[in-house]
Amino acid sequence: MPGRTRPIDKLAAAAAKCTKEGSVYGKCIMADYNNVHKDKCITEFLKLKECYLTAYKKR
Amino acid sequence: MNTYTIRAFIPPLPRRSIPLRAARRYAVQTPGAPTMEIFSSQHKWLQKERAAANADASRSVDYLRDEVASRLCERLLDINRHFPQVLDLGANACHIGRMLTQPSADQPDAGPRSNRIGHLLAAESSETLLYRDADLPFNAALNLTRAVLPTSETLPYAPNSFDAVLSSLSLHWINDLPSVLAQINAILKPDAPFFGVMLGGDTLFELRTSLQLAEQDRRGGVATHTSPLADVRDVGGLLQRAGFTLLTVDVDDIVVDYPDAFALMKDLQAMGEANAVLGREKGPIQRDVLLAGESIYRALHGNEDGSLPATFRLIFMIGWKPSPKQAKPLERGTGMFSIKDYLEGTKKEGGGGEGSGGR
Repeated sequence: MPGRTRPIDKLAAAAAKCTKEGSVYGKCIMADYNNVHKDKCITEFLKLKECYLTAYKKR
Repeated sequence: MNTYTIRAFIPPLPRRSIPLRAARRYAVQTPGAPTMEIFSSQHKWLQKERAAANADASRSVDYLRDEVASRLCERLLDINRHFPQVLDLGANACHIGRMLTQPSADQPDAGPRSNRIGHLLAAESSETLLYRDADLPFNAALNLTRAVLPTSETLPYAPNSFDAVLSSLSLHWINDLPSVLAQINAILKPDAPFFGVMLGGDTLFELRTSLQLAEQDRRGGVATHTSPLADVRDVGGLLQRAGFTLLTVDVDDIVVDYPDAFALMKDLQAMGEANAVLGREKGPIQRDVLLAGESIYRALHGNEDGSLPATFRLIFMIGWKPSPKQAKPLERGTGMFSIKDYLEGTKKEGGGGEGSGGR
């Protein structure tokens, strides 16, 4: 649809601004990806999400 | 109280929509065996209709289907024969038809591939997708007819009516693959080939694993986001069970690089290849999971230049309908020549082309 940004495009644009936090989080999961449990990397994820939310609101 | 629901736009269940007379088939499943329902065919139909409704977006993701259809057509040309009646089962947007109008990569001067084909019937259950390219110039270049199937799992054609059946990237959404393959075998003429290609094995394993890890970490559990797929070793058994002979099964990997995981998901959606597993979690994926999945995808599988690879594993299958005229293996014990002598003879001569015991 013209003139309308799809939510996934907004999400992708905001996520692209947080590659540094994203790679920290990715490395945390990758360090032991055979044993992942809930909230294993919660601190790293919260940093990533905070960055993402700021980037999302700035638009 | 009237209940106007979205149901009006969804076609009625396949079984009810076929008149009883047309529903008589030659290939039936063994009585008593329940049909495994894995994919929702209604939902798949809806996804394809929606995707094709936006023709520009849909055309922009033709790269995969065009490439695969082109590879399948090359295999058809390997058979030195003219095929008067050909069926393209699960045609999507007639990608095979379009690829047939182009010359072969091996012989660019030999004219379009469609010289070897009399008439192509493109059958597909999604009408919008099937007729998406009906106005384009390639339609005039070959003898092409489009047919909308009421359901993708029952073929309304008479037995012994096609000289070849092709199928490109649609068999992986079929619930009852043994039955469909048996029906294909029935509608083929004796000594006619079936060429199929489907996604299988490790297709999209990068997306699957990163979403699984993301859900493990964020939600503490795993939901289904990619289809269960057939493996290479299953396909041989399936074809044999359906009654095909002289089987050929081989695998090809296509790796596509995407800028990010969202681009991959958007392209899959525009192809109409989004998740349609019956047991899927309804509703969109949570944003937390998407965000985490994208980061894990990048860390676990990402290329050095920052792009993300996505693997599409293609399983090509060729099977022939049996016929008394076909070449058969000789009977046991009729060999007049010892392979042992031949192999030992070549070894002494240093692996020469013809052995010492040549006829």
